[in-house]
Amino acid sequence: MSYRPGYDHLPRDNWVDPTPPPAHIQDVPNVGATSAILTSAAFALGAHCGEYNEDFMLCKRDSANPAHCLKEGARVTRCSIDLLTQLRANCLKELSSHWNCLELNNHEFQYCRKQERPLNQCIFSKFGYTKTIPGAAKNATPVHELKKPYFGNTPNTF
Amino acid sequence: MSSIPTQDIGAPGKYPAFRYQRYLPKRGPSGAALFLGLLGVVSFGMYHHLESKKEWRELKREKIWSRLHLVPLLQAEQDRDTYRREEAMKAREAEIMKDVPGWEVGKSVYNTDRYVPRTVPLYIPEDK
Repeated sequence: MSYRPGYDHLPRDNWVDPTPPPAHIQDVPNVGATSAILTSAAFALGAHCGEYNEDFMLCKRDSANPAHCLKEGARVTRCSIDLLTQLRANCLKELSSHWNCLELNNHEFQYCRKQERPLNQCIFSKFGYTKTIPGAAKNATPVHELKKPYFGNTPNTF
Repeated sequence: MSSIPTQDIGAPGKYPAFRYQRYLPKRGPSGAALFLGLLGVVSFGMYHHLESKKEWRELKREKIWSRLHLVPLLQAEQDRDTYRREEAMKAREAEIMKDVPGWEVGKSVYNTDRYVPRTVPLYIPEDK
């Protein structure tokens, strides 16, 4: 965090708090994945950790206090790390090619369908998760399975 | 002097037929054909425009849900960090205010039980 208007009286460079976390959340690791990987794995994450995620969000609805949902949050983080580890073990090639494509294309899914199909196929064969977008029309072809889409025909490749 | 005055009179015989009809060359398809053609072109364009709008809406939905699936993960990490910093601030506050009788460490400045996020960023004092 650098300059913020109205906070000139506060130091600008000393934002790091080196205090270690309290003992009961000390062993909870952070995920540590970059945005493209998370975007790439988002729907698998929703399928894998959906129950933990919903539990956590319901807890957050009861109270916005960070201290209130630490246990649920730790479960969410552990589940996400578990999924990403399994993805690395099983679908590393497909995942890498997809998130690298997303990285080059502004994190827009429509430019990376070519890389997404093998990834979805791999996730389905290894985990059994189908990519479903909630709220989409039931009888229509999902947007990620269109044969001739209107958008995303000219991806950036470097 | 009696003489017959010369007057303008018709030509002997008949006048030639007057050409009042315009003989214009044929000028393309008829109005009805043009109208129908225009209707066809516009319908084609409008169909694809509306279909692409539908697809765009689905793409937005896909993007929104990809982010919604990540919200708990990011929020959990953020909460843990905020909690850690708040606990550290409370510890510092207790250390600084330990000589003041009746001081409640970490007491909210707001008259409510609801959690109110900090409006001032947390930071470490320079001399710490």
